[in-house]
Amino acid sequence: MTKVVNSEAVRQAIEKLPLFSSSALQLLQVIAEPDHELEDVVNIVKYDSALTMRVLKAVNSPVYGLANEITSIDRALSYIGERSVVSIAVQENTGQLFSKPLEGYQGEAGDLWRHDLFSAIASREVARYAKGDFDLDLAFTGGLLHDIGKSIFAAFWKEFSQEALSQIDQGEVNDYLMAEQDLAGLDHTEVGYEMACHWQLPESLKAVILHHHHPAEAIECLQPLVYAVHLGDVVSMMAGCSTGSDGLQYQLDPGYSEYFDLTPANLAEMVLNTEEEFTKAEASLVS
Amino acid sequence: MSEIVLGIGDYGAAKHPGGLVKTFALGSCVAAILLDPRTNAVGMVHVALPDSSINEAKARQRPGYFADLGLPLLMQEMAKLGSPANGRGLVVKLVGGASIMDHNETFNIGKRNVLAIKKYLWAYGLGPLAEDVGGNHSRTVSVAVDTGKVIVSCPGRGQWEL
Repeated sequence: MTKVVNSEAVRQAIEKLPLFSSSALQLLQVIAEPDHELEDVVNIVKYDSALTMRVLKAVNSPVYGLANEITSIDRALSYIGERSVVSIAVQENTGQLFSKPLEGYQGEAGDLWRHDLFSAIASREVARYAKGDFDLDLAFTGGLLHDIGKSIFAAFWKEFSQEALSQIDQGEVNDYLMAEQDLAGLDHTEVGYEMACHWQLPESLKAVILHHHHPAEAIECLQPLVYAVHLGDVVSMMAGCSTGSDGLQYQLDPGYSEYFDLTPANLAEMVLNTEEEFTKAEASLVS
Repeated sequence: MSEIVLGIGDYGAAKHPGGLVKTFALGSCVAAILLDPRTNAVGMVHVALPDSSINEAKARQRPGYFADLGLPLLMQEMAKLGSPANGRGLVVKLVGGASIMDHNETFNIGKRNVLAIKKYLWAYGLGPLAEDVGGNHSRTVSVAVDTGKVIVSCPGRGQWEL
């Protein structure tokens, strides 16, 4: 099959993306440090007035039903948690990337944001069942960014997506990711990885973006994190929160059982908790 | 045309002319659809999990989320519109219950949802007349009240009648 997506055009599209603000980048770097404190996050947010304003707006939204308005960033952060701040910072710094329609996937405007937010919350829920120590909020951040490559890839993928479904139905490829590779010569995880490099994101987040469909390919020390996001992505698709025509068209990697104790009962509990928190988070993050 | 859109864990029934009952993006969730050919009433519940015993508090808050509580509540809604309380004569259709590719049993919530719904229906001597369940694609489903026509759709795969 001829490789028809022009990778140079993809690279140019990525290079045109605005860089993350220094505070957003610092925030993602701090979150990626396993021994960081909430105070470290406060110290970044309080010097970014726009971010501070968005965080205060979110915490005082009707969703949280606070009796008294919160006006300090310290209190706001301890109330809504660093994951909400990450969501706001990512949303602020990615402009329309998350909200535009995903043409190639037949995803509607906002589908990518909803899928990634749901996956983020689900990844964090998965991480609660880790057999070892785990940074729950890093799993959240990884989940939030894992599919960012689709925001650029979708436009290039548009003309091949129908063929991808036929390839899957006819058993010519194992899953949607393989169809992307076969038809386009590159896939959304590779595009996402290039975006993460452009933004200078931490290595752990780059690994999540690149390997979330094949977590065993990540370096060993990052595999628990990548598996958490792999499963968070699966849970999101199972809950009907997909990015369009590729929903559920990926393989589950059973290697997760090395890192997580999951049973049908706690998976059900996870689905319930994720959906509940998602509804709340989505409402509080509406700008 | 008035439209009832059911979210995850919602249930409802209608029999007003021109009405439409619809739910989006089922994933592993299942839409159980009840049709009463005598009254033209249409009911639907969007079930996400098979068994409410995992969380009693949430079962009280959102009973329609669970197959074991959602089905009885849907039957009650249908009874309010004139259908027999025992479900006799109702036509049942099921849509959804998909799974990720190469799933294992732990992740096969879709199959467990379908089985839980069927188990409840069997207790009433009911069974689905038609079903579009399983597979690896998320479905949206709508039912026209006047005709009882059930239309299933999926991004990239078009739409079809069940």
